[in-house]
Amino acid sequence: MKNKIGLIVNPVAGMGGSVGLKGTDGEMYKKALKLGAKPVTPKRTMILLSHINNKDKITLFVAPGKMGEEYVKDFDIQFTAIGMVGKEVSAEDTKKISSEMVKKGIELLIFVGGDGTARDVYDAINSKVPVVGVPAGVKIFSSVFAVSASAAAEMVDAFLEGTDVTEQEVLDIDEDAFRKDRLASRLYGYLIVPNVESFLQPGKEASSTSRASVDSKEEIAAYIVEQMAQETLYLLGPGTTLKAIADEMGLQKTLLGIDAVFAGKLVGKDTNEKGILNLLKIYEKRKIIVTPIGGNGFIFGRGSKQFSPEVIKQVGRKNIMVVGTKDKVNILDCLRVDTGDFEVDRFLCGYMEVTVGYKEGMMVKVKC
Amino acid sequence: MNEMPYLPPQEIIEAGRKGLLNLNRYTNPEDIERLRELLADYSGVHKGHIMLGPGSDLLLREAIQTCSKGRKVIMVSPSFFPTVQTAKQFATKLISIRLSPPEFDLDLNFLIDELKEPCLVIIDNPNNPTGKILLDRHAVEAIIKNKDVLLLIDEAYYEFSGATFADMVQNSPNLVITRTMDKGFSLAGARVGYVIAGKVFLEAFSSFYAFLPQSSLHAAIEALKNPDYMRRNIHQVIEERKRVMRILDKLDVQLFPSRTNFFLARTKIPDIARKLRDIGILISDLSNQLPSGFIRVSIGTREENDIFIDGYKKIREAYV
Repeated sequence: MKNKIGLIVNPVAGMGGSVGLKGTDGEMYKKALKLGAKPVTPKRTMILLSHINNKDKITLFVAPGKMGEEYVKDFDIQFTAIGMVGKEVSAEDTKKISSEMVKKGIELLIFVGGDGTARDVYDAINSKVPVVGVPAGVKIFSSVFAVSASAAAEMVDAFLEGTDVTEQEVLDIDEDAFRKDRLASRLYGYLIVPNVESFLQPGKEASSTSRASVDSKEEIAAYIVEQMAQETLYLLGPGTTLKAIADEMGLQKTLLGIDAVFAGKLVGKDTNEKGILNLLKIYEKRKIIVTPIGGNGFIFGRGSKQFSPEVIKQVGRKNIMVVGTKDKVNILDCLRVDTGDFEVDRFLCGYMEVTVGYKEGMMVKVKC
Repeated sequence: MNEMPYLPPQEIIEAGRKGLLNLNRYTNPEDIERLRELLADYSGVHKGHIMLGPGSDLLLREAIQTCSKGRKVIMVSPSFFPTVQTAKQFATKLISIRLSPPEFDLDLNFLIDELKEPCLVIIDNPNNPTGKILLDRHAVEAIIKNKDVLLLIDEAYYEFSGATFADMVQNSPNLVITRTMDKGFSLAGARVGYVIAGKVFLEAFSSFYAFLPQSSLHAAIEALKNPDYMRRNIHQVIEERKRVMRILDKLDVQLFPSRTNFFLARTKIPDIARKLRDIGILISDLSNQLPSGFIRVSIGTREENDIFIDGYKKIREAYV
């Protein structure tokens, strides 16, 4: 008897990332398309399917077309397509098909998408069956997701081998506020996931606003600015630590976007992938400065997809600087990357120095 | 604070008391030399390599202050070093190598790669708070063969771990070991620390001279004359550590092997350190040093350990 597993792919998830739209909820994906965004989920889905070891033990119930069926065909997995969708897919399709799959008796639902997709799945199935979230969105702040598509496959295998399950948070991120440079999130609900801590992405933790943390950011900023070279382009990622660096330079930085600085002046504000690649054509010496996301340690692949694999390749590993307060870095297991490009992820792995204070660094392992 | 929970024998307390009879006098240099001889004998090194100080933390601070100038200082994180600020003040740069859970291994190859400029490497072995042995002989040899590198190993828990590199000091000018009689010898109140120093460190320390209080000096001498009590106490603490860990293992606590008188544990019960404190039990809360749920538990007397276990069980029952 094979295990019945559902698979739903949100084909527009993650498309807002590289074009700097910070999400594709609602109609925003159309704007992303106009800006030249390319689908993110096909590659993630293929990685997921290729990494599942127990293919012979499962029968998949998949959403039609680009919501799942299209990708499964290439693998030796028994499957049945469920439901119908139009040319343009919507959140309602995810909800409707998830419910139908539960009625068909699936034991586990795999969904490929972002925080919005997780909310749609929660609306439809609540805690009726466990889920595995394959990260493909722009932000991924909910803790129901695996750390990567290949880790999601390992979670599926663990579930098939009988691991227990645990509740994890689904967050509601206000994308309009996010685009206006403000992070507003609330707890939306809980989904049940296989309890494999090492593959499960911890949720984002809020930035500390304690006096010690603020002082620490100022100390880091002072040291980084002191080290900055006039003839180098600096691409500053999102986050309050990076904002502290811009503040130290007397510059107005977008909190959640990527800004570019050269010779003490802003030369790019809230820049998308295309904008960054254009800047890289102009400036020969360049560095990326990023801070890990509190709680889960991602430096690339979550919330800053404008730093695409191509951008990272062009800048080079040795020109990536990581900054973070000790209270943030100390509680991380490791730093993480999930750029969507296996080769880039691999070359980012290994130890990286995180500047945690004035003349003070911590060497932390990057994992993918 | 990881003290030994048992008092030293009466003759050591008496020796300390006798020291107080000369409270109006500075320490007799002959007594200092006698303690150095006994420590050299105990450590298996020549007396010339031994230097004394009132507590190994003061010696550590002195070593860092003296040897970090113009050097990069490399440490591990997490670690017990209240002297980080000293290193930050004098070092060219301070780098900590993160020991990642659950293994908490030190990546030797990575560390060696970092030794391309003058460095002071400081490693506590066993590590506090993980209780793990980070270095072996091969690792120490690989580090100290770089002549521009100074290696400081803190062996505060040597009596528990049995792991030492003291015998390497004679032929390794750039190696220094800090130790204390606070823990294994039940003399935390006496504050007797010492270094076993290689030539480079002996020269750097040449102007350092710390008097020990009369009572500490005499208690330490008496303790070293017959250290069997220390070995019995160590054995008892290790047996208690094993017993407590066996019980916690059945209570869904993730445990990490220890070579010290404490152990590292991870629990799913949120805010456990505060909950234990509320019922009068003190453990070390590591929530600002490691991912959530990590605590460090020091081994006390059997009665104290039972109070901890009962307290933990009650909190767990309320949580589950």
